Amino acid sequence: MGAQNLFSVSIFIVVFRETLEAAVIVSVLLGLVEQIVNEEPDRLAGLRDEPQRPAITHNVTVGGDDNDESASPENSSSVPAAEDELISKKRLIRKLRVQIFFGTMVGLLVAIAIGAAFIAVWFTEAADLWTKSENLWEGIFELIASLMIFVMGITMLKMDRAKAKWRVKLQRSFSGENVDGRTKTGKWVLFILPMITVLREGIEAVVFVGGVSLGQPATSIPIAAIVGLICGLISGFLIYQFASRTTLRMFLIIMTSFILLIGAGLFSKAVWSFQENAFNTLLGADVDDSGGNGPGSYDVRGNVWHLDCCNPETSQGYSIFNAILGWQNSATQGSVLSYVFYWLAVIAALVRLKFIEGRTKIFWFESAAGKRRRRANEERERASSESTDEKSLPK
Amino acid sequence: MARLNPFVLFLALASPVIAGVQDVWWNITYVEDVNPDGLYPRRVIGVNNTWPPTPLNVQETDSLVLHVLNSLDVPTTVHHHGQYFNSTSWFDGALGVGQCGIPPGQTFDYVVPINSSGQTGTYWAHAHATGQYVDGLRTPLVLHPTQEHYQYDEEYTIAISDWYHQEHSVLLAQFVNIANPGGAEPIPDSALMYFAQNTTYLPPISGTHPTGPTAGVGFNENATLPFEAGKTYRLRVINMSAFVGFYFWIDGHNMTLIEADGTSIQEYPTDQVMLSVAQRYSMLVTARNDTSGSWAIHFNMDTTMLDTVPDDLVYNLTSSISYGNEPSTPTDLGFVDSYNYLNDTLLTPVNTVAQLPPSSETLNLTFEFDTMNDGTNHAVINGITYNTPLVPAVMSALSLGDNATVQSAYGPSSFVVHHLDVYDILVHNSDTGNHPFHLHGHTFQVINIATQYNVSDLSLNPPVQEGQANPMRRDTIMIPAGGSVTLRVVADNPGVWFFHCHIDWHLSTGLAIQIIEAPQQMQERAQGIVPQYMYDQCQTLGTPYQGNAAGHFSTTDLSGWFLGPYEQELGWLKKGILAMFGCVLTACLGMLTVMWYSLGTQFTDEEVEEAVKARIEAKAKRGKLFGLIKPKQD
Repeated sequence: MGAQNLFSVSIFIVVFRETLEAAVIVSVLLGLVEQIVNEEPDRLAGLRDEPQRPAITHNVTVGGDDNDESASPENSSSVPAAEDELISKKRLIRKLRVQIFFGTMVGLLVAIAIGAAFIAVWFTEAADLWTKSENLWEGIFELIASLMIFVMGITMLKMDRAKAKWRVKLQRSFSGENVDGRTKTGKWVLFILPMITVLREGIEAVVFVGGVSLGQPATSIPIAAIVGLICGLISGFLIYQFASRTTLRMFLIIMTSFILLIGAGLFSKAVWSFQENAFNTLLGADVDDSGGNGPGSYDVRGNVWHLDCCNPETSQGYSIFNAILGWQNSATQGSVLSYVFYWLAVIAALVRLKFIEGRTKIFWFESAAGKRRRRANEERERASSESTDEKSLPK
Repeated sequence: MARLNPFVLFLALASPVIAGVQDVWWNITYVEDVNPDGLYPRRVIGVNNTWPPTPLNVQETDSLVLHVLNSLDVPTTVHHHGQYFNSTSWFDGALGVGQCGIPPGQTFDYVVPINSSGQTGTYWAHAHATGQYVDGLRTPLVLHPTQEHYQYDEEYTIAISDWYHQEHSVLLAQFVNIANPGGAEPIPDSALMYFAQNTTYLPPISGTHPTGPTAGVGFNENATLPFEAGKTYRLRVINMSAFVGFYFWIDGHNMTLIEADGTSIQEYPTDQVMLSVAQRYSMLVTARNDTSGSWAIHFNMDTTMLDTVPDDLVYNLTSSISYGNEPSTPTDLGFVDSYNYLNDTLLTPVNTVAQLPPSSETLNLTFEFDTMNDGTNHAVINGITYNTPLVPAVMSALSLGDNATVQSAYGPSSFVVHHLDVYDILVHNSDTGNHPFHLHGHTFQVINIATQYNVSDLSLNPPVQEGQANPMRRDTIMIPAGGSVTLRVVADNPGVWFFHCHIDWHLSTGLAIQIIEAPQQMQERAQGIVPQYMYDQCQTLGTPYQGNAAGHFSTTDLSGWFLGPYEQELGWLKKGILAMFGCVLTACLGMLTVMWYSLGTQFTDEEVEEAVKARIEAKAKRGKLFGLIKPKQD
């Protein structure tokens, strides 16, 4: 059994990425609780009084629910001392955190349960579909996975903005506003919000894992998923701890490069698999059955290189090389060109994205967002220079 | 049973032609709807609109002149397998070696100088052009001496062959195909056994009524050899297959081999004999005294040669020996315990010829099969696949003058040997199958057989012994998989002689060399006796007939002759390195772009928050499900 059968790199990446996203959300939430409790107590008018309620430990109510709001003015009449307030704040924060973690755990467990059920059904009921023309299915799945990784990789680069983004979204939901038309505030908001978020990310991961794991042996899923989960949690924690966006950005650059390497490899492998399938169809038999490498084991038409060794199907080391970088000891024009074009597409997409975001010019052209940002900057500069002028003038 | 008795029974049966020349006229034609196995009617190549072609029987005092009219739509040739054609190799009939092929509508007279060759025994004649013998142009050729070494009462010729339902050209196109990189040979659809007594085929057993062009000939279960109690029979068994070898034995009867490939041998009792393609054995079989019932004659395919054995292939076949009773199911004793390979060195010729002196030259050949650089599977000998020269090598030798002794003039798969030199052909079979090799124009001495040539075990890989008193001689030898043979030949037959695997699929993919023997003597002896029409036929076909293999008067210029395919070059070639460089380069550029995207001016948290807010507001305005459900305006 090759290493590929025990550890699916694409599954690792999908799980890692979704865990990371969820971790970021949870970390933002944790930060937000502290911030809100400390800085904007008004927004938690109802919460302040909760510690004073009897039997509050479990049924913590949060948020500006109508019932609570109606209750809060009564309780706020008896204002405790400042120390008590500090202690109650701390207690409140702890309880809210517990709530957040509790919600996260529930969300995670449900997501894992759904994922496990999904994969179990998938591999017991549907796996027979592609035992016949294995290469064709492999190609289709590799193609799907490579395209998903393409989108994922590019959006992942924007993850240094995720904290800000989620802060807005969560604050809104916190303050009872409609976010995405989905999350509504309630007294369970700090339980429901992480649960829903984690669940959403988790189900996304399940769908992705399902898509990516098609055609891969079931044995390749658990270890990759668990390792991805752990790595995602660790990374999320690190991001939470080291809030510097620059550090995060470096981390994301490395991760994205790695992800895209795998995506390009998958795309190349998809094309390779289609060609292999076509060759097998021509032969009327699986060419792998003829055994190994060398003449006769591959199609000479369009072959770019063939090494009489280093076969990922038979060599453990090269199977890892294959899983990560798409290595084949028998490369075709199709597999080489697809690899190159994948990267060219990445380059084109990133250049376009940065241009549309207004963060770069293409030659002398500037996007609408670019103009807007430049004007805003100019205005800001003018304002600041004016203010400095104002400051400097009197002297 | 076998005694040195000069009595010859069959002289009375011989052709009435006065000793001298036996003329036979063949009109080679297609014959439609031939269905000998009763499974599938097909077109075959026959003679005089009949199939199978009438066997040739010639007295050793006669020479045979075979007048061949080609009524096909493609060039053809006839090769008399095993005949020496001393100094007249243009009559040998190998297309591209001895002649250009008989153009459609023209005639070629093959002069087979049996009266001067001293050859007797069991041979066969077959087309030697683009696998036409696989399509049916094959027939026994029996040379009768005036005085037989062994005594017997009657003789039968037993023809065995594999049988295909598709024509050779169709099968060859599938075989030499990019879709068949492993070189899986076409699997025969069935096999045939049929009997002849001298020039007459035995009819089907009574009670069966086959139809079609072969209605008069019995095949397989429908055929039987009539035996009479107490008589001794000589059975001449010929494997005329395209591909498979056969294991042959007879239930209830003992066999004693007395001839192999035209060489009379000391009696060699055996309970089975393996015939690879083109091999012949004669055996004495004494009829039973108990004349009730009939007995199975087995001919089982050597299925180890087949890449796959289809479910519907009957590979263990039988015919029968009957004793004149009403037809009954022959007694079939079933399988033998094991299939045995007959080591040729165990056989001893009747006429003693001591081992030739140590050779002055060795053609050291190693062959294998592989997928070539065009994706098709070919055979290579010492790395080179045989390509048919544009100019038949005989004509090159006759036209090149002094340059005729230069080996390179004949192309890559050629070897020049000098007159009366003793040379060894050492063939290593590095393939996983058995291969029957045939040398034209000679019988070789089988000096050594190694069943495994790359081991040090002397029982498997014995050293060549010099000074053997009377080594076996024959013209076709099976080289076992992974084994080797050493064949010793004296270059006493000026001419160009083909040395090739007789499995037609392998010959078609280049498992051959040509030996140019004593070209100068060849030129001297050919003076004035080469028929002019041989060259005219080349001209008719538009083929060059003088100069080197490519038709140039040069020893090195082979331009215009397509050679190859060649073995694949693997590893990091130029295009591979360039492609790998391109992949690495674009990947690096891509990762640099990732870095470039992330660095540079950034959104501030405020900007991000503003953007998110703007998006949420836009979304709220648009409503759910891409604007299908409008939000309540309140």
